[in-house]
Amino acid sequence: MIEVKHITKTYGKKQNAFVALDDVSLTIPKGASVAILGKSGSGKSTLMHAMSGLDRPEKGEVIIDGQNILKLKQKAVDRFRAEKIGFIFQSFFVQGNESVYDNVSLPLEIARVSRGKRKARVDEALRAVELTDKTKSKARNLSGGQKQRLAIARAIANEPSIIFADEPTGNLDSVTGDKIEKLLFGYNKQKNVTLIIVTHDPELAAKCDMLVNIKDGKIESIEQADVKAAKVTRRVTKKVQ
Amino acid sequence: MKLADTIRRAGRSLRQAKARTLLTSLAIGVGAFTITLALAAGAGGRQYASDIISSNTDVRELYVQPKMDEGSMDFTKPQEYVEGPAMQFGGGASMKMLTEDDLAKLEKIENVAEVTPIYNASALYITREGQKKYQAGLEPYNAAIKSEVLAGVPGDIKEDEVILPSAFAEVLGLPLAEESIGKVVNVAMANAATGEEKMYPLKVRAIIKSSILSAVGSTTLQTSRATVAEMYDFSVEGTPLAKAYVGATVMANDEANAEDVKQAVIDAGYDAQTAEDLMGFLFQFINVLMGILIGFGALAVLTSVFGIINTQYISVLERTQQIGLMKALGMRRRDVGRLFKFEAAWIGFLGGALGSGVALLAGTMANPWISDTLSLGDSHLLIFQPWSFAAIIGGLMFVAVVSGILPSRKAAKLDPIEALRTE
Repeated sequence: MIEVKHITKTYGKKQNAFVALDDVSLTIPKGASVAILGKSGSGKSTLMHAMSGLDRPEKGEVIIDGQNILKLKQKAVDRFRAEKIGFIFQSFFVQGNESVYDNVSLPLEIARVSRGKRKARVDEALRAVELTDKTKSKARNLSGGQKQRLAIARAIANEPSIIFADEPTGNLDSVTGDKIEKLLFGYNKQKNVTLIIVTHDPELAAKCDMLVNIKDGKIESIEQADVKAAKVTRRVTKKVQ
Repeated sequence: MKLADTIRRAGRSLRQAKARTLLTSLAIGVGAFTITLALAAGAGGRQYASDIISSNTDVRELYVQPKMDEGSMDFTKPQEYVEGPAMQFGGGASMKMLTEDDLAKLEKIENVAEVTPIYNASALYITREGQKKYQAGLEPYNAAIKSEVLAGVPGDIKEDEVILPSAFAEVLGLPLAEESIGKVVNVAMANAATGEEKMYPLKVRAIIKSSILSAVGSTTLQTSRATVAEMYDFSVEGTPLAKAYVGATVMANDEANAEDVKQAVIDAGYDAQTAEDLMGFLFQFINVLMGILIGFGALAVLTSVFGIINTQYISVLERTQQIGLMKALGMRRRDVGRLFKFEAAWIGFLGGALGSGVALLAGTMANPWISDTLSLGDSHLLIFQPWSFAAIIGGLMFVAVVSGILPSRKAAKLDPIEALRTE
């Protein structure tokens, strides 16, 4: 479970100060799929960074599995990220000049998983994203969809309990994007892993259990699955008209 | 990240920038090359010098002379006359000589095995039946002084035997083979007072190679101490130099005691020098030369330090995203810094290995040519010692890591959020 309590994050100082997150609170149950929906500059990325321990808001608490990660020392936060969190980015950030295998192996190396165990985990992660046949290829030779699948394999290799996906389908065409979505939601349901997707795409957001609307650093609304379904239907109808 | 994984990843990053890595390493390589050759030349030079010393001297030997007064060779003011034999120089200066009493005194010093006066003797000529006459020096045979034997066994030389340098054997028509052993050569001595000549027939005991390393060289005969003494005494009999010597070699009974004996001799009122004192300037000279070469190498290494810093800075900039990703994935600052330090270490290793490897190759190929040009005979000027490679490569890796500190700190400090911003 992730509990975010009254976090505030300000960038810059004095006249230039910009409040990216303003007293934000929310609770995400374990195993849920959550969409953080907002325009660029709304503070959705900052919220993700705060929840994943990449950034430190000056006020508030981020409690994950009973532990306030904002109170941890840098070393402990790094370890927390290495062991419990998986990241997927819009621009993939796969290492083009390294092999697919080495890309997936990276988080395991960082988490100090022994060489023997790594092999099995990498193979399993690649199997899950159907990239087994590309194990030895250089990552730069993969297509966009394959790169994002590789990024997913990298994110799930260390069996994290939370996966953060920042616009995971933003750079992909709709067919490939659908595949990636299926893969993510499938993994989320199958392994009961909390999936937090940061997006400005309402359609992708609509597929999540929980939808957090964020605007100007404040939470506008939090919708649960059933309510949300109705709303999305309404929007889609609107579009059609 | 575990150490082995970090080292592996560091190596891989370098392989992905082959040209840059190689060029940066080459800069260090130049330093490694120079230093390797400097050390090899130093080792070779010292070996050469100690070869010279061992073929001329015995480490147990001390060269003892009467103590020289401060002004004994001072021509600017009159010197008081001192009793005793002395070698006269023009202009009212003289050098005192050792007497038999002095020798007896030296012999009584503890741990002294033998005192041999230095016989400043030269034969009038040496010849053999049907051959020309040649000038020759005389020297008592010392088994501790190494020489290359061509025929016969120098060993326990008897009073009527002589050891010939090969150059003499050749001019006297003796082949450099066993058949010449036992043949008789005639050594003529002349008395300095009366001009009387006396012939000493000596049997060839051994023929040794005339060595350029040796001061005994090609024109000095070696015979037993007694024979040399007898010849010398004959030549100076009736002159003021009879029973007086320019100096003496004092032999300690053991290498370990040489230094103590030296002190005792000095305390007894004489000047004493060990072989090393006499040859020490050689080592000093070699060390200075080696130091200069190493200095040039160090300069090259210093230059390459900036190369490494530059390369690593560029590498950090280029890989901002990669570093950001690794940090986002939970890599600790220390590990990120270490990754870049290891890369620097790899560069240092590569440069060191390349430079010293090429130096070894070039040196090994050049050695015969150098020996030939400088006529060093069989000895090589460049001697490569395994420890020097380890020291150079290790040292350069250390230098490289130190140069990598600044860039690696920059990498470690990188903010992952900034690094991963895509806009």
